[in-house]
Amino acid sequence: MNKINKIQNQFNSHIQPTWCPGCGNFAIFTALKQALAELKIKAYQAVIVTDVGCSGNMADFLKTYTFHALHGRALPPAAGIKLANHNLPVIVIIGDGGCYGEGLTHFINLMRGNHQITVLVHDNYLYSLTTGQYSPTTPKGTVTKSTPEGSIEEPLNPLSLALANQATFAARGYALKTIHLTKLIKQAINHPGFSLIDILQPCLTFNKNQTVENWYQKKVYKLKKPFTKISQALEESLKTDKLAIGKFWQEKKPPYHQAIGFLKKPLVEKEISNINIKKLIEEFI
Amino acid sequence: MKTNFNIKIGGHAGEGIKVSGLMLSRSLTRLGYSIFAYSEYPSLIRGGHNTYQVHGGIKKVYSQIRKIDILIALNQETIKLHQKELQTNSLIIYDPGEFQLPKGKLKGNYLPIKLIKLAEKVGGKPIMANVVGLGATLSLLGLTAESLKKVVAKEFADKSKAIIKLNQQAAEAGHQEVKEKFNNLVFKLKKPTKKQKRIVLTGNEAVSLGAIAGGLQFFSAYPMTPATSILHYLAQKAREKNIVVKHTEDEISAVNMAIGASFAGVRAMTATSGGGLCLMAEGISLAGVSETPLVIVNSMRPGPGLGMPTWTGQGDLQFVLHIGHDEFPRIVLTPGDAQEAFSLTSWALQATEKFQLPVFVLIDKYISESDFSLLLSKTNYQNKRYSFASKLNSKANQFFKRYKLTDKGISSRSIPGEKGGIHCCNSYEHDQLGLGTEDKNTRSLMVEKRMNKLKAVEKETPQQPLFGAEKAKTGLISWGSNKGPILEALKTLKQVKFLHLNCLWPFPSQKVKQFLQTTNQSLCLEGNANGQLASLIRQQTGIKVKSLLKYNGRPFYPQEIIKTIKENE
Repeated sequence: MNKINKIQNQFNSHIQPTWCPGCGNFAIFTALKQALAELKIKAYQAVIVTDVGCSGNMADFLKTYTFHALHGRALPPAAGIKLANHNLPVIVIIGDGGCYGEGLTHFINLMRGNHQITVLVHDNYLYSLTTGQYSPTTPKGTVTKSTPEGSIEEPLNPLSLALANQATFAARGYALKTIHLTKLIKQAINHPGFSLIDILQPCLTFNKNQTVENWYQKKVYKLKKPFTKISQALEESLKTDKLAIGKFWQEKKPPYHQAIGFLKKPLVEKEISNINIKKLIEEFI
Repeated sequence: MKTNFNIKIGGHAGEGIKVSGLMLSRSLTRLGYSIFAYSEYPSLIRGGHNTYQVHGGIKKVYSQIRKIDILIALNQETIKLHQKELQTNSLIIYDPGEFQLPKGKLKGNYLPIKLIKLAEKVGGKPIMANVVGLGATLSLLGLTAESLKKVVAKEFADKSKAIIKLNQQAAEAGHQEVKEKFNNLVFKLKKPTKKQKRIVLTGNEAVSLGAIAGGLQFFSAYPMTPATSILHYLAQKAREKNIVVKHTEDEISAVNMAIGASFAGVRAMTATSGGGLCLMAEGISLAGVSETPLVIVNSMRPGPGLGMPTWTGQGDLQFVLHIGHDEFPRIVLTPGDAQEAFSLTSWALQATEKFQLPVFVLIDKYISESDFSLLLSKTNYQNKRYSFASKLNSKANQFFKRYKLTDKGISSRSIPGEKGGIHCCNSYEHDQLGLGTEDKNTRSLMVEKRMNKLKAVEKETPQQPLFGAEKAKTGLISWGSNKGPILEALKTLKQVKFLHLNCLWPFPSQKVKQFLQTTNQSLCLEGNANGQLASLIRQQTGIKVKSLLKYNGRPFYPQEIIKTIKENE
């Protein structure tokens, strides 16, 4: 345990996490730091972009380069950072509200572009930092502060959406299966392209429906082996009575920055001290 | 001898009017004339009435003018619509094989030239009729077709040699036709004595070129008229100039992606028009609080809502001065022509890095899409880098005071990947490391730190140029694109001086005060209904100025300005 603490400590800022006791964020925080350590990524080499929400407050608890983005807008700056310096691993910490609600268009479009960012969605089926309103993944009929008569919408299915939308890495994790999650995060960071891990995360304070005992322990099981066909992965993702965790899908396609032909060395290393525009000017004669 | 001329081409959208007009502008510029060309078109891909008008002269011309010398009418509607701009000696080129002249009394001299037949006669296609018209126009100005032939070769460089040759023959055919049939109508136009190597480009191209010269590395945007051609130009040059250009899924992504790239250490910019700028508001606020360098180009069109996409206006000034919630410092640059669009955009990229605040380049459709002839002799541009930390503790795995409190409010930056530079780029209020805080003292100090930067900015903002008779008692004060029509009007108004404001924030209070105190009466020209600059002047100096406002989507014409000044005398 001490050994683990030691290697994780390098990523801790001096600020103690402010999450509620027992919050799934602790486990995800631990898994992330462990994954970084095991991948031998130094604190100054990692860029972690956090969204707004309980999970996003991780920006203050981490000692890495962090970018605490606007709500729902963590993915675009993450893509921008990667395009500016593709040598850096870029990881996004975001909630179900930010990723699948406010920022859904970024999620869908940057995924299609295969921007090499690792997106860790803390999916607790609820908006918790704003004290409990329904989110895009809240099951239909759920009573929350903003849906006192039960939510009317069908929930969004993140994995099915990702699989149908050209995700090159799609997985589901469970906060309380921390070692399993650590492995998934390592694979996601190593994946040369867009990687999504939808992480099931109990919220002890506000979510009294999806509890550890009555929901997660009954539903969660580990996938035995990866699927060879995307149709199989899609079929598995559509299940709602049981929730498989593990890697649903991974395939190789060039990430966005590689597809830009001229971006061999990182953009940030481009010299701009002397710019010649003679050729451009002559085109206007 | 004529020293100036004004030519208009009119017809349906999709008839290649803009391309033809630009070829004419380039030909005239090659001959040594100064030109300004203005185009009008509706927000349609085909159909609707389109025009392109070139004002040219021996001396520098600044804007479009109303009275037409030569009208190339590609359809009957053009003749009907522009009667008021014609004079008795105006020449109108039309193709009698295509349409009849409208019935009733018509102003001007009508020259039936079978443009299509002439094109076909040299073996060309009907589409080359426009080039025949251009050849005829140059002939009417008493100029040779040689410059046009060169421009044609350049314009069609990606086509076959045969096509180029046919187009050149078409130009020659038009030129010859006038010589043979209308030689008596040829203008006696003065020829330029010295040829300067000027280029013709739009304001948007000038902005793009200025950005490239200023070291632009990253550009993300979403198309919106009239800013779109910045995206087009930069995308086209991305590979050659190693600039990452990203057409994002929306303006929100565009601004946030640029901020991310900037945080990672590259020079970043975005461009949009009013509606897109609305979507960027929160992102700009993020750049403000996190002190991340960012240049935002906003090319105005009339609003609110979707407004009138392809027309011009200056209704976004107060919006840009205040965009983003709460308070943070910013720079608002308001170039008045292509030259300033180039130099100020280039400066914007330096300034945003140096002062770490959002810098706006506020232009409008009139600048964005008009063609200017411009002398850009300098081809090499040096860029210094600003505010990057030079002494990081390279051994330490520790936090860096990215937001260190300093006298000027400007702190040095580290970028991701640098040892000893760890910090948080935070949208929340933060401490010197960037970590979130709600401490009242830190909050006050950080607000003061950010706002303090403006004092340093004020010392380096561009000079506000003064034009006209320095001792004149009548003054004109304006901003942005009105510079052109006002300078054109000053050719007539000899006893008027004009203060052009190309930077409206930080506001040049001293300069404006001084100007207004040395005039008996001053008029503030603006393309909006509320007199937004006039309000700003009053807010910053306490002085109330009279306004001349225009908000019908059209730019000012010099004659309107002259008339108003004369009425007020």
